[in-house]
Amino acid sequence: MLQTPALLAHAANLDLVIRHVLAGLGHGIHAGRERGAGVEFSEYRAYAPGDEWRRVDWKLLARADRYYVREAERDSHVAAWLWLDASASMAEPSYQIKGLDKLWTARTALACVAAIAQRQGDAFGLVVCGDGRADVTPAARGPRQLQRVLAALARTSASGALPDAAALKAALRIAATPAVVFAATDCLDWPSPMAEALQRLRHLRHDVRVLALRTQAEVDGSFPSGVAYREREGEGALHRLLATDRETYRDNAFAHFSGVAAHCRQHDIVLTEARIEQPLEAVLRSWLRPPSARGARR
Amino acid sequence: MTSLQPWWWAALPVLLLPLWWHRQKRQRTAAELLATARFLPSSAPQQRRIWRWTDVLLLIVRLALLVALIAWLAVTVFPWRGNTVLVAAGLEPGWVEREIASARMQDADRIALPPEVLGWLHHNEHTWRDGARILVLARSGDVPMPARPPRFEHGVTFRLAPAAPPPPRMHHVVVAAQDPRWQSLFAAFGAAGERYELAAAPTTQTELIVWDRPGIPPADWKAPHWWRTGGAGKRVSAGGLALTYTDTPQGRIWAGMPWPPASAADAAALHAAWHTLAVAPLPYPLPALETTPAHMASAAADGTRAPWWPWLLLGLFILERLLAHARRT
Repeated sequence: MLQTPALLAHAANLDLVIRHVLAGLGHGIHAGRERGAGVEFSEYRAYAPGDEWRRVDWKLLARADRYYVREAERDSHVAAWLWLDASASMAEPSYQIKGLDKLWTARTALACVAAIAQRQGDAFGLVVCGDGRADVTPAARGPRQLQRVLAALARTSASGALPDAAALKAALRIAATPAVVFAATDCLDWPSPMAEALQRLRHLRHDVRVLALRTQAEVDGSFPSGVAYREREGEGALHRLLATDRETYRDNAFAHFSGVAAHCRQHDIVLTEARIEQPLEAVLRSWLRPPSARGARR
Repeated sequence: MTSLQPWWWAALPVLLLPLWWHRQKRQRTAAELLATARFLPSSAPQQRRIWRWTDVLLLIVRLALLVALIAWLAVTVFPWRGNTVLVAAGLEPGWVEREIASARMQDADRIALPPEVLGWLHHNEHTWRDGARILVLARSGDVPMPARPPRFEHGVTFRLAPAAPPPPRMHHVVVAAQDPRWQSLFAAFGAAGERYELAAAPTTQTELIVWDRPGIPPADWKAPHWWRTGGAGKRVSAGGLALTYTDTPQGRIWAGMPWPPASAADAAALHAAWHTLAVAPLPYPLPALETTPAHMASAAADGTRAPWWPWLLLGLFILERLLAHARRT
């Protein structure tokens, strides 16, 4: 049913969208490090809605007439940290697909990652950077955490500017355990405190993966001309777009994103560029692909 | 001015409002939001919009509308009438044209003569412009002479058409007497210019009953005046006669006159007394006259507005709407 990004964009229920996207994605994209033979039984826990049925202990159900879930002891803890850029520039809508904007795509992609992490039993947390501050949802595992994260994502709106370095300090405390950091942003403010924070996380040997989202119109500069434009963040000056200015626009945008890519390459940050009009499965697939696979393809 | 209406002029600062609006419009620039606007070449902010003729016209019309509204509320009176001829209805057209031509007011406005023309002129004089002349053409006797000679701010000329002499006044009298001298008395009265109709029984028109019979008059006889003998009452002296009168439900009863008047002197005295006390005087008509302009206190304070004010406001409002629409499209 939800075949196109347009239809997806109008689906209000984030949970439904995630299920659909993940169904298309298949299993085994992100190999969980904790799964397999080394996992030992640790304890029973009461069933909570959202737990997978296969983890229910059916014998215990027959004995106690209650649902219990087997919790496993893990050898290592890998946390997935979801970074959402919710600055005002993320509100840029698609000129082709009505109702679709960068924030929606970023939010849905992060929700899918959260669902995958929950399915794999990983802990996951959320950092929302917007309106000059960074809101941190601490990492945890389980279906309740997924609901918490989805609710936090659903109430996010794009406004204000990115937080400064002081505001990001609290968010950097996530670095206690080995983590995979999934950052969805539009990379427009690239030499920024948030970029430096991601760079520092990378230097602390976390796996940092940045999803750079742009609209198709932003890529090829196909905005309506003859209109004055103003930046979404701050009281910026006016900019014009005449038919002759498209070439300049493309050159400037190319230079900026080349700089972003070079910066990421230099600090070994995985950068995935995507347009929000692309199918979300394909975007997720390339974003979640392990670095080794990328290297092999190269 | 007794009212607070002139205080409406204190609302004039409202005129700053349209001025401010139009200034606002000049500073506004249509700009759309774009996240990647920084990659576009910057342009000078379009702070000044080019004034189109509709903008200026619209501002002027809006200011005029507000001024007109305030002036209307403050009851500003603008003299607007020029030379005017007031013509009574039913005058002979030839005479009217002759009089207008002799006054050299052929191009003046003509309006119908209102009743009570002197009061009406005093009331509405402020609507005439300075130096305007007013010609009043009426029938002689239509305009009664006021107690004082009329004075106006403008030159007002009264021309009176000769009217037919009024018919002689008719007096209905009931003589209840055997003496024929009463009949001859009223015949002598009639020689003075008025007609007397004698009857045997009173009607509703009867003015006077002369009771010279023994006994008392029937109870259903009623008249404003009675002449009888005897009786006492308030004393009054008129025409050389000392009379008394008493007010009764049947009418006012006079006594004390010579009974019956035997001589011509008695008849003349009785006639004079009767005219002084009971007969209303004839109105004294205004003669044809020409007043000179005199400075007088304006009567404009009573809140009368010129009749075209609402039309002016409506016209300005329609114009403002039209221009606003023309500017949008």
